[in-house]
This record gives sequence, structure tokens and C-alpha cells, in this order.
Amino acid sequence: MKWRKWNNIIHRDLGYLCFGLTILYVISGVAVNHIQDWNPTYKIEHVRAAVDLSGVDQNDSNALALTVLSQLDETAELKNIFRVDDTTLKIFVVNNNITVDIDDELVTQEKSNKRALLYQANFLHLNHAKKWWTWFADLYAIALGVLAMTGLFVLRGKKGITGRGMWLTGAGVFIPVFFLWLYS
Amino acid sequence: MKRTFILFIFFLIMAPTVNGAAKTYGDGVTVQEATAVSAILDNPEAFIGKTVRIEGMILEVCAKRGCWVYVAGDRSGEKIQVKVTDGEIVFPMSASGHMAVVEGIVEELKLSKEQMLQYLKHLAEEKGQPFDPSTVKDERLIRLVGLGAEIED
Repeated sequence: MKWRKWNNIIHRDLGYLCFGLTILYVISGVAVNHIQDWNPTYKIEHVRAAVDLSGVDQNDSNALALTVLSQLDETAELKNIFRVDDTTLKIFVVNNNITVDIDDELVTQEKSNKRALLYQANFLHLNHAKKWWTWFADLYAIALGVLAMTGLFVLRGKKGITGRGMWLTGAGVFIPVFFLWLYS
Repeated sequence: MKRTFILFIFFLIMAPTVNGAAKTYGDGVTVQEATAVSAILDNPEAFIGKTVRIEGMILEVCAKRGCWVYVAGDRSGEKIQVKVTDGEIVFPMSASGHMAVVEGIVEELKLSKEQMLQYLKHLAEEKGQPFDPSTVKDERLIRLVGLGAEIED
């Protein structure tokens, strides 16, 4: 039948078109699903260390910052420093937030690095981009819907929607309904 | 055809890049007059439910979802949390250490002592920091529900 030919052409070509983003969303989806257990976007590392601030004027935040950065061998670009209170100094360098306990001469570094691929995948999947990407993602979602619908009618006969396909499609609908019932 | 295809790919690549470089978050900031964080914390009743503009350095960012930041107050040792709806605004980790102008509605998070401990524990976990319940003081949790922000590069 002519409509089935067109159905299969649409299904085939949309399948090709959606492949890249679908794989990206698969990776991001699994990663974000487990956000309670890990950080899917950044690799965060906390490092504590002792520093020697003797001889440095404790009221001079710039001098303290330079001393700390030098002792930590931190060479990344300095963004800012902030004196939280008399005994606490924060030093912000690219990918590293350093909190200095001036009295105890201890520093805590919070080092953050974007996870390769996952950062970009999450950026798109969670629509951090907004604007134009929102419309593109809507189109992609519609394309997935069309892909699903046309997929039902690719085959005729026992393996089509009137046979095995009906049972598998039914199972695919039943499973989320079951979980909704289970957790309601 | 080839040229059109290349232009199309360029458009796709550039779209998220251009938006990602934007320094305005959410609805941006429309309130002109800034309110000092100390004024809000000293007299929350006068501000709860009101939309305010605050200015200060971003000290901390939610590492997991980018759904909150702490903005430094004008008085030593003070800071205020700006909470945004997950996904609506996402603050990048790189925002820490940058000056920000934030617009939001002042609210009080009313929690029991136990809820407060759970909440602060959750925040610490998001930052991957240890949490010591004994350090929690019996104080009100005043924060901003963030509507928009402008963060300096």
C-alpha cells in the first residue's frame, strides 16, 4: 500500500535524523537519573591543606591571597578575593574556590571541572541553552512522537501491530501505568 | 546545497554557544533600587513577599543543579541564599567569585528544627561538604526566590 511505503520512508529518515540527539539524550538521561548519588555535570574535589601565613599581615587580604596561591602552586587565573570576616578569606580562581581559615592556617579547596561530554549533553538535554534550542528540542520531541507512531506500522502480518507488535506495544504502555499505580 | 547544509550546521552549533555566553539569567533585573542584604536580614518582616534587588559577590553555587547561590552581604560574615526553580535558571559553577545583581522575592523558609537540619544537611551534600549538626544555630532562614540575575563576566 502506498501509505505504508511513505510511513516507512518517514520512519527510516526520521530515525537517521534523530540518531545523534537520541544517543546524547540517552547518555544524559542515565547520568541525570542518578543525580542523588553523584554530580553528573561537574567533577568536584575537596582538598584540605595547611599553609604558612606567618609574616603576612592578616589584614592584608591581597597579600594573604598571593601567599596562599603561591604555596598551593595554584596558577589558574584569579577571579576575585573576598574577606568573609576577620578570620576567613575566600579566593576565587578559575575552577577552584579556596576558603582560608586565617587563624588556623588551613585552606579548603573546592576544585570543579566540567565532565567531558556529559557537561555538553546535560547542557542540551536539560535545556540550559533556552531560546532557539527550546524550539529545536520541541521539534525533536515531535519527531520522536512521529517515529514512535510510524514504527507501529512498519511491518504487516504476525510481526506487525496486529500480532506480536500489539503485545509489545501493550507492554510498553502497561509498564509506566503499573509504576504510577505502585507509587500512587 | 552543500553551502546551505554547512550554514545549517553552523547555526545549530552556534545557537547554544551564544545563549550559553549570556550573562543575564531568568527574567533579568528590572528593579532599579538595590536593597542591602543587611536590611533584609535585620528586618525580614518589612520585606517578606516583596521583590527586591540585591548586589554582591557570589560566594557559593549549587554544584549539582545550579539551583541556588549564596550572595555576600554588605556586612562582614553575612550572606543570603537565592533559590531558583530547578531548570528555570541554572547558575554555572563558574559564577562563584563574580559580582551579581539579583532580583527576587524575599521569603522565610519555615522549618522545624529537624527539617532545618535535614535541609542544611542536603545543602552540604550538594556541595560535597561535611555536615556537623552541632554548628547549626537556632535562626530564621530568610532567602530570595530568584526571578532573574545579571552576573558580571
